[in-house]
Amino acid sequence: MDLLNALVALTNYVIVPGLSYGSQLALGALGVTLIYGILRFSNFAHGDTMAFGAMVTILLTWLFQSAGLSAGPLPTALLALPFGILGTIALMLLTDRTVYRFYRQQKAKPVIFVMVSLGVMFIMNGLVRFIIGPGDQRFTDGERFVISARTFKKLTGLDEGLAIKTTEALTVVTAVIVVAVLFWFLNKTRTGKSMRAYSDNEDLALLSGINPERVVMYTWMIVAALATIAGVLYGLDKSFKPFTYFQLLLPIFASAIVGGLGNPIGAIAGGFIIAFSEVTITYAWKKVLTYGLPESLAPDGLVQLLSTDYKFAVSFAILIVVLLFKPTGLFKGKAV
Amino acid sequence: MSDNPYQDDHGNKDASITNTKGIGTMQPAHLKSGPTHKVDGGPFLIGDTMTGGYGKGPDILHDCTIAVDKGEIAVIVGPNGAGKSTAMKAVFGMLNVRSGAVRLDGEDITQLTPQDRVVKGMGFVPQTSNIFTSMTVEENLEMGAFIRTDDFRDTMEQVYDLFPILRDKRNQPAGELSGGQRQQVAVGRALMTKPKVLMLDEPTAGVSPIVMDELFDRIIEVARTGLPILMVEQNAKQALEIADKGYVLVQGRNAYTGTGKELLADPEVRKSFLGG
Amino acid sequence: MTETMKHTLLFVFVGVMILLEGMTDFLFFSGSWNSALVILNMGLISAIMAIGVNIQWGFAGLFNVGIMGFTALGGLAVVLVSTPVIPAAWSSGGVSIVMALVMGALTVVSAVMITKFMPAGKLRMLVLSAVMIVGFIVYRAIFDPAVGSVEAINPALQGNIGGLGLPVLLAWPAGGLLAAGAAWLIGKTALGLRSDYLAIATLGIAEIIIAVLKNEDWLSRGVKNVVGLPRPLPYEVDLQADPTFVERAASWGMDPVTASTVYVKAGYALMFTVVLLALLWMAQMALKSPWGRMMRAIRDNETAAEAMGKDVTRRHLQIFVLGSAICGIAGAMMTTLDSQMTPGTYNPLRFTFLIWVMVIVGGSGNNFGAVLGGMLIWFFWIKVEPMGILLMELVTAGMAEGSALKAHLLESASHMRLFTMGLILLLVLRFSPRGLIPEK
Repeated sequence: MDLLNALVALTNYVIVPGLSYGSQLALGALGVTLIYGILRFSNFAHGDTMAFGAMVTILLTWLFQSAGLSAGPLPTALLALPFGILGTIALMLLTDRTVYRFYRQQKAKPVIFVMVSLGVMFIMNGLVRFIIGPGDQRFTDGERFVISARTFKKLTGLDEGLAIKTTEALTVVTAVIVVAVLFWFLNKTRTGKSMRAYSDNEDLALLSGINPERVVMYTWMIVAALATIAGVLYGLDKSFKPFTYFQLLLPIFASAIVGGLGNPIGAIAGGFIIAFSEVTITYAWKKVLTYGLPESLAPDGLVQLLSTDYKFAVSFAILIVVLLFKPTGLFKGKAV
Repeated sequence: MSDNPYQDDHGNKDASITNTKGIGTMQPAHLKSGPTHKVDGGPFLIGDTMTGGYGKGPDILHDCTIAVDKGEIAVIVGPNGAGKSTAMKAVFGMLNVRSGAVRLDGEDITQLTPQDRVVKGMGFVPQTSNIFTSMTVEENLEMGAFIRTDDFRDTMEQVYDLFPILRDKRNQPAGELSGGQRQQVAVGRALMTKPKVLMLDEPTAGVSPIVMDELFDRIIEVARTGLPILMVEQNAKQALEIADKGYVLVQGRNAYTGTGKELLADPEVRKSFLGG
Repeated sequence: MTETMKHTLLFVFVGVMILLEGMTDFLFFSGSWNSALVILNMGLISAIMAIGVNIQWGFAGLFNVGIMGFTALGGLAVVLVSTPVIPAAWSSGGVSIVMALVMGALTVVSAVMITKFMPAGKLRMLVLSAVMIVGFIVYRAIFDPAVGSVEAINPALQGNIGGLGLPVLLAWPAGGLLAAGAAWLIGKTALGLRSDYLAIATLGIAEIIIAVLKNEDWLSRGVKNVVGLPRPLPYEVDLQADPTFVERAASWGMDPVTASTVYVKAGYALMFTVVLLALLWMAQMALKSPWGRMMRAIRDNETAAEAMGKDVTRRHLQIFVLGSAICGIAGAMMTTLDSQMTPGTYNPLRFTFLIWVMVIVGGSGNNFGAVLGGMLIWFFWIKVEPMGILLMELVTAGMAEGSALKAHLLESASHMRLFTMGLILLLVLRFSPRGLIPEK
């Protein structure tokens, strides 16, 4: 039995990847939940919005790299990120103007917006493939590790290594900052409060002199920023491929719903719940258990509950279970 | 199927894609404000011989007149379905007024949207969904003052002085309050704009008799500050007791009009509407 | 022009487009009857899927975004019904696999029973988790070795449980049944909740079905694909070897190779048309029946229908199962047409969202609209690529030879497809929100 090594292995293979994936999902789910809370529909184009934001950032990153700009040990993409956000905001506002606004004026039912978002999804998906192609793109540079397995082993003298990638650390730090700023904005600023008021009671918000078009505009801007950040962090951590981003929609929706659609705290919690269940259920526990259990109990097999290909199955199984017991999600939906 | 293809009600129950909680249901008569013009004389607020209905629907109001002057409480009473709330909504711009006019403080505002009427000085408290349930009491009041650019802390103090319980509960979500307290929040929210006239749609609906008495006391207190109040009430007797002016509506028409006392004394009114 | 005329003309337009595809190679047409028939066949299948979705959405307002899953189940049915029996697989592990699956099902059923009949509390949680954990361990203990032995049998060609060796046409209704069963399970869970969560449930379960098909090699050979599925029509090579056919081909003025491919495809087209017409007829009858009127009443005002004593959840479940079954039939037909099962190719954009575009563009609530949408959108789905290339050639005509932009534009033209589908959807939603052939 070697609890210390078991703990290190657990951190290395489960906790660190879970935290960074969870942060990415949480950022994505926040975007979905804000649209759901304020604009009142589930935005099927969200995955592709993330892809678009990441694409703009990648193109600029390449430009910066070729111009010799760099952020030292951090990825160059961080320098390009603000511009990527601006580009995505521009696209979102343009989409709202040309597409969604008409339906708001018609007072269209939410389900019409859902269908419209399907159209936007197709268009954005096509646009991204048209510009950058359907293939895999890598754009990570800078220092690869905050701490590598070998350094860790040398430092501690343990058998097991603990590696923390720069991108993982960056993901978690960025997510914490973004979430803190978002909550400050929603709870403390006049604009943020007006967004919550609009989400809570549209008619009364109107009677209070809150301009719905303003609220909608700010929502799209915030969502564009969140989607771009989530997209870039995911791309840095794994890699960028338009179709993968489209598929991210599934765990992101699951996160938002598990937490309670429309509730930002729920979205964050949901993101981590989904991420950790995916990682723990598809991880082969042999190593951790071999360290953690007495020798006689050490497992022979991989002790993998399900193969990695079932990660979507895991998120949805969790989703169904949560909905069966708490139909409004863990954090009671709808309270932006 | 509805007339507007965008408003078909298919599939709007699926909570994983659509969110219908708190969705706007208001159907203002005008989506964009038309012109206003000055007029002379008349009461402070008047809905003058209004005839109209919702959208393109049939007329619900017929030559209905409702007015309130400075320092007064005017009450609209009548049997169920008499068009009491409808008359008030017509004054607030939620009804297509096909003939007649609405005038506020010497200005014809018939063509304005409800939002613009709020800017002109109308404070409106709807009967239901009249608070932001997920926001704290204080945030509710802040949202009430959204159109104000000046410092509104004084007004907030005044509201807290009027409704002391709200001061104690100011950091609690308004949705967690009791029925009577919610109504106080709703009135307080409307007062935050410093309105020139306050319109209450059945403020005592669904509260206990004790709470109702307290609410009426508060309303009188508000009226004493000189703010004209127009109110729709189900509890005709109590309402007429505090009213300076009363309107009894029947089927969208003015049936009886007079001071509160006159109406209470009128045997016809007593017999038909006040239960003897 | 009357409405009926306009609608007929729309159908004629699609027909002419497909005919032109066969007759001329002008502009983006290919001038090949083979290609025209390929478009027609998949168009017919798409129309059937669109009818299935239209029944759910148009009749009842159920938002199903898991069409891909039901289609794939139909495909699986073809494998399970029509491939030859592999006795070795059954003797080595097949029985154990079935036992393991029954075991797993029993675990789930007992878990549901426990939640239903035991009072809530710590004890229930404890018993529930115990049952789940033990069930899972036992299931894996039986399942894993059995799968190993099945997959070891002739892995290059088989390595799966095989089928029943029945005629492939039987697989079509079987596909419908399989999809219906899955839909019943999904509907039972997702429609019974306080508010519906059907959209997200279908979205997720479709992904799960595809994941199962991709990974459970014992069932569907996973990404190794099942090829050479039996088919209801003769093989082209056999036709070419048949002297009477060659003679007949010569009398049509065609070479035997083209004649045989066209003959087979036309045969499929005929079969699919029969199925489509039958389903269309049934859907029309259902729509006009009291049942269909009740469905639409529920759709338009659920609260009122509930107040009148209609069991809305039950009706919804019913229609969800029916619509999914139709998608399953279409899926089985598609796999038969391809004569192979390739789980890796199922993509939600193509198999779920494209069908939605068909239904919305065609006209939700109108069966003829769904058929038109299916055929029309499928034609564009195929032909947008050559159209895009044509357009890009036009755009880049003035550009310098060898410029990077020109190369990129020409190369990316094929991605215009998704873009165009989105554009069509948005245009229809904007200018004709009830679709080309609206509900009456």
